[in-house]
Formats: sequence, C-alpha cells, structure tokens
Amino acid sequence: MSKRQLAMVMDLNKCIGCQTCTVACKTQWTNRNGRDYMYWNNVETFPGTGYPRNWQNLGGGFDPSGDLKKGVVPNLERDYGIPWEYNYSELEKGKQFRPHVDPRWGPNWDEDEGAGTFPYDNYFFYIPRICNHCDNPACLASCPRDAIFKRDSDGVVLIDQERCQGYRYCVAGCPYKKIYFNPKTGKSEKCIMCFPRVEKGLPSACSQQCVGRIRFMGFLDDKEGQVHKLVNEYKVALPLRADYGTTPNVFYVPPVDSPPKYDANGKPIPGSDRIPVEELERLFGPEVKRVIKTIKDEKEKKKNGKESQLLDILIAFKHSDMFRMDHGYYSKNSASMGTKKLAPIDERYVRGKETKVFTNFLERGQH
Amino acid sequence: MKAFYLSLILTCSVFASESIIAAKVDGSLKGITPSSKMWDRAIFDYQTLYPQTTIGFNDINAKEKNSNNGAKKVVVGALYNDKELAIKIRWFDATKDTQNREDTDGYADGFALQFAKDFSNAKGLPYIGMGDKNRKVIVHLTKSTEGIDAPNANGDVEVQQLPSNMNLYGEDLEKFTSKKASARVDYSKSFIAQGFRTTTMIDDVKFSSVMEYNKEEQSWSATISRSLKDSYLDLSSGAIPIAFAIWDGSRDNRDGLKHISGWIPLKKVSKTDKKNLAEMLSKEVSGDIENGKKVALDNCSLCHNYGDVNNAPEFMAPNLSNIGGYSTADYLAESILKPDAVIVPGYNRNAHKNFSWYNIDEGGNRISTMPSYDWLDEKSRDDLIAFLQTLKNQ
Repeated sequence: MSKRQLAMVMDLNKCIGCQTCTVACKTQWTNRNGRDYMYWNNVETFPGTGYPRNWQNLGGGFDPSGDLKKGVVPNLERDYGIPWEYNYSELEKGKQFRPHVDPRWGPNWDEDEGAGTFPYDNYFFYIPRICNHCDNPACLASCPRDAIFKRDSDGVVLIDQERCQGYRYCVAGCPYKKIYFNPKTGKSEKCIMCFPRVEKGLPSACSQQCVGRIRFMGFLDDKEGQVHKLVNEYKVALPLRADYGTTPNVFYVPPVDSPPKYDANGKPIPGSDRIPVEELERLFGPEVKRVIKTIKDEKEKKKNGKESQLLDILIAFKHSDMFRMDHGYYSKNSASMGTKKLAPIDERYVRGKETKVFTNFLERGQH
Repeated sequence: MKAFYLSLILTCSVFASESIIAAKVDGSLKGITPSSKMWDRAIFDYQTLYPQTTIGFNDINAKEKNSNNGAKKVVVGALYNDKELAIKIRWFDATKDTQNREDTDGYADGFALQFAKDFSNAKGLPYIGMGDKNRKVIVHLTKSTEGIDAPNANGDVEVQQLPSNMNLYGEDLEKFTSKKASARVDYSKSFIAQGFRTTTMIDDVKFSSVMEYNKEEQSWSATISRSLKDSYLDLSSGAIPIAFAIWDGSRDNRDGLKHISGWIPLKKVSKTDKKNLAEMLSKEVSGDIENGKKVALDNCSLCHNYGDVNNAPEFMAPNLSNIGGYSTADYLAESILKPDAVIVPGYNRNAHKNFSWYNIDEGGNRISTMPSYDWLDEKSRDDLIAFLQTLKNQ
C-alpha cells in the first residue's frame, strides 16, 4: 500500500451519459499510436455488456483466500471493437460514405438498451469507469516482470514502459479490464489518473470536464476534502465490485431515486423501484440499502428547510471544493517526486527511475 | 513427426550427442543468416526442449492451449572463429505467428539464447529460469513481429505524438510519416537477469539475429551471432554452457510460457573442455528410481506438485513436472541440500500472499521457505535425484 491515496468519487445519480469525460480522456491521451481502441475512461450503460464486452465475466482479481484468479485477454474485434474511420477523402470522387471496416462491435454498442419492458419496468443507468488505482492491484500482482508499481506519493498505479514487454498477464489479471495492450508499441498501457495534471494541482481531465459535476477528486486521508467526507464520514460512496478483492479507490454514490414501475394499465405502482436493489448490491456490495436510506433521509431534511452538508457536497457547488488536491501537496514535494515544469510529455516512467532500481538489482519493497 | 523427418532431411550430419559441437571457421560470422553457406561446415545435433512448468500463469486461454505440451526436438549447430560465435537453431512450428500491429490477443513465435555470466563453477551454474541473485544470466531474445512503433520517428516509444499536432505540413509531414514507418524496430533485445522477474533490458550488448520461416517445411530457422567477449560475457573458453527457449505464438506463448532446454555444453572443435563441462552438465545420477519416487512422495509432495502427483496447493512451491528436463544433477543436489543457494522467486509477491517461496531476512537476503534436506542419507538422496531426473514430458 502507498503512503497516501488519491481517490475519486462519482455520483451516479447525476451521470447523464454524455461521454464528455470519455472525450476529454481520449483527446488528452488515447487518440493516437495504437491507443486508438482504448478507453481509459468509458461510460457504459448498466445493465449491459460494458466495455470491453462482458468485462465482468472475463476473470481476474483475487479469490477470498487472496490468490490471484485467472482471467482472459480480450480480443480487439470481438470484445473491444475496432475503431473505424470513414472514407472522407474519397467522397469528392463520388464514393459512397462508409467505414473502413464492417463494424460488428464497439464501445456502447448496447448503449441505453438497459433491461425490462417499456413502459412497465424498463430501466438503466450509466457507470463511468476508469482504472480504480486499487490498494491491492491485481494487474501489479499478475506482472511477471514487476513492471507495474504503485506510487508511494499518491497511490497512482502505473506501468513502467521500459520494463513492460507486453506479456498481457496484467490484462488477464485486472478484473475491471482497465489495462490495454498497445499492439503498435508492444506494451501495455492504462489510465494514469492524469498524474502530470494532478501534480500541478489540477484534477484529471475526465473530472474537470464532467458537465454533470459528478466527479470528486482528492486524498482519502485529507479530512477537509469532500472525497474523504463522502467515503469515510458519510460512507455513501462505495467501490465497484469490491468482491474482486482489489480494494478499489474509485468510489460510486449508487443511484438512489428510481422511478416506480407501471402496471398493465400504465399506472405507477406505488412503492416499487425500477432499479432492482439486488442488482445494485451485486455491483456495490451489501451497503447499498444503507446508502440509499442515508441520502433519502438527508434529502428529506433539506426539503424541510434544514441544513444538510451531505446534500450540499453532492450538489457540487464549487470545483475548488470538489477537487481538493491537498493545497500544494505536490508543489511542495515536486523535487523529491521529480516533477517537471510544464513538460508536455512526462518521461519519468519510460526511461524510468523504476528501471534504474532494477538495473542495480535492489530488492524493491515487498513486491 | 514432421519435425523429425524435416531435421533428417535438413541436416546430413546429425549426431546423437549431449553437447553442441561448434566448428571453427576463418571468415567473419557477422550478419550470418540461416541460409548462409557457412552452415555447411557446422555439425548439427538434436536438443530437447521441455515446457516450462515450474510456474504457471493467470491466462485462462493460454493455460488451456498449453495443457498438453510435450517435449520439443530442435536441431542446433554452431560456428565460431577467434572473435565470434554463431548458433543456428531449427524447430518445427505448424504456423508462422507474428505479433501484428492490430491484435490485442495475438502472440509471436520467438526464440532466445541464454548464457551464464559466470560459468567457472560448473556445479553452481545460474538457475535455468533467468538465473539467481548471485548468478546472473544474459539473454538474447528475438520475436517475430511486424515492427514496433517509435512514434516520434526517433526511437522514443514514449513520445505519443499525433502528426497533426506537430505543425508539420506538406513535404515535412510526408517526411515525418515515412520516417516513422521506417523507424519501426524488430523485437530483438538483450537482457540481464538475476532471477525470475528481474529481467532488465540492456542495450550495450551487440548481437544479430535472423528468424526465417519455411512454409513448406513448417519450420523456423534462426541464427544468432555475437562476439565472444564483451563487457558482460567472456565466451572464449573451450566449452561454454548455453540454454535455449522457444515460443509458439499460436499457443499464446510469451514470457515464461515457453519451451526451455537445460544448460547444454557447447564445445569448440580443437579446443579443450578444461573443466569437463560437458560431462558435468549431462551427468545422470544412478539410483533406485522406485525408491526415489517414494522419497519424493514422503518428503516433497506436500509442497511440490509433479507429474500425476498433485497433493500440494497449486501455488505452494515450484512445480517439478519437467525439472528433470531442464535441470542438471548438480542443481538438483544443491537445491535439496542448500535451498537458499538458488532461490526461485516465483510469482509476484502480491499474487499469492499465502504461499511465499521465500522470506526476506533483516539483511535483505532471500531465505527459501524450503528447509534443507541435508539429513537424507546419501542413498536416499541419490535415489531422489535419479527420480527427479526422470520428471520430464515426452
């Protein structure tokens, strides 16, 4: 475990599935050189197959005794979808407008389908997903080269691009399938929690751009931070699929308000919930009911004209409160972290300091 | 079977010897390829490679594809001159698998050659799987790839720049694009390692390697040449230990998922094997195998799985199923008597926390979790080693 942990909270009640976070991430990191198919950040519809296809059934993570479970390396065409491009330049020659491959699958292929029968009990909601920067990363545990490490300074999980030889056991090992193999460079890559931004006191691109203001970012041990309050004080933010045993550091406020189902005559059934709480429990664990009750109670308080700090946090008034990068933590420590001034490309983990440690063959911690 | 016939056809002088005999040539071996005429002068010989089963991997599909792996015969020949050494290896592979630039789950055929950094003590050679803390190995690894990108056209893989973000237009843009395409590199790398997981790339060792696939004969031929002496290795003596590994991409082979040989002595014609390396490496301990089997069952099988004996938890200790294929008798004896002499690091320390293969003492040294079996009487020990030497897939 790292000394400190940077974490994110996403309030699913406010996610409208606009994919602005996805675009922010893609334009910042993954629109080029073999990363084209990767979505370090994606927003998927639940219930649905997710991205990559059926990721929840592809194995990985740990069993209850703490042993790494075996997993699958997804296929580009079948599971991720080939990112297709159109023949724009041929249009002036009178060619028909068409994609360069016959698209058979892609991220959000089943967007908004959900489950149930319209208009009686159909439902869906969105889950944005990034790397969980877990306390016990299964990717790190799967790597036969010790190429994956967790930074002491903020718990961000990174892949040393010099040590990585593209064996993809990390892809099989990550139960969230948030590690991607770059076939052009022959190395694996993943969400880096925008660490070059974070070290400048900025939140990740996905958090900054979120129009629904659903994302909070900060250190788990920063008692003034909203992330700490949501996760540790009010305990309304829960990790996704904690049963995988990796102890994720991205937390979700589960959907609280679910419209009622309709009966055969199209009338609402009082007291019914379209989103089955069992489904939410499968995703976020047994605490879901308590979280729903806490937030409903606080809402009631606010409705009755009383103060509710929890609701004020969830309303997300100010970016400066939502993203508390701990007031100069990085700038104070930048020298020891090796942060560069305004470097457009951060080369630390490519010609990396981690590699030097290995060149001298020192035992690195307890890994 | 095809591989068997193939090697008979290809090599007119196949010896059944446990050493590789390197023939001396006068000309330079630089840039030698599998089809070079010089190979007419080499003496070719079978060697056997065994599936690496000491440690398993967490890829479901790969595990399934490799569950019935048998031993593999390869044909090896070697040439040397005063300065260089060249080795040619041929093996059967039904499909040519190249890691292409589109697949996320495609793997490459490949081969590697491993040298011991220090082989002055033939009894204490590095552990066959990537050496050990005090016994380093140098590995040359070549994979069949379509070329790896260096996105800024300058060899810097990390520089992920979009040409459209680079203020390049017209001719300049074309120049950049073609430079980028030509900057693709083949996967041919050298590593230094002192134990599984420590493998670290080194770029100050020069070697050249060529892999050629023959579709009709369904076989790979590969050559590798390097100087006899550099800052890491001195291979100038009359006999040197070498080891091979081959990977089959169609079986999702990569990393430790491979076939490996044990340490094979390479003897140079007209030079003497002063330390009797050839004999030491191919030594077979004679003993009562049936009794050895019993000794193993009583003493080893609580932690180690091997062959049909699977009494131990999966991740408890190195699997010994092919230990007889890729270990020397001296290594087996050493491991039984002094388990701390060579530590097999095994899985990542976070993967199976209940089954640590070693602990770290206050001085930072690795201490094997296996106790010493120095109390075994000599006969039982020899019987056990004789039995362990039979543990290998056919």
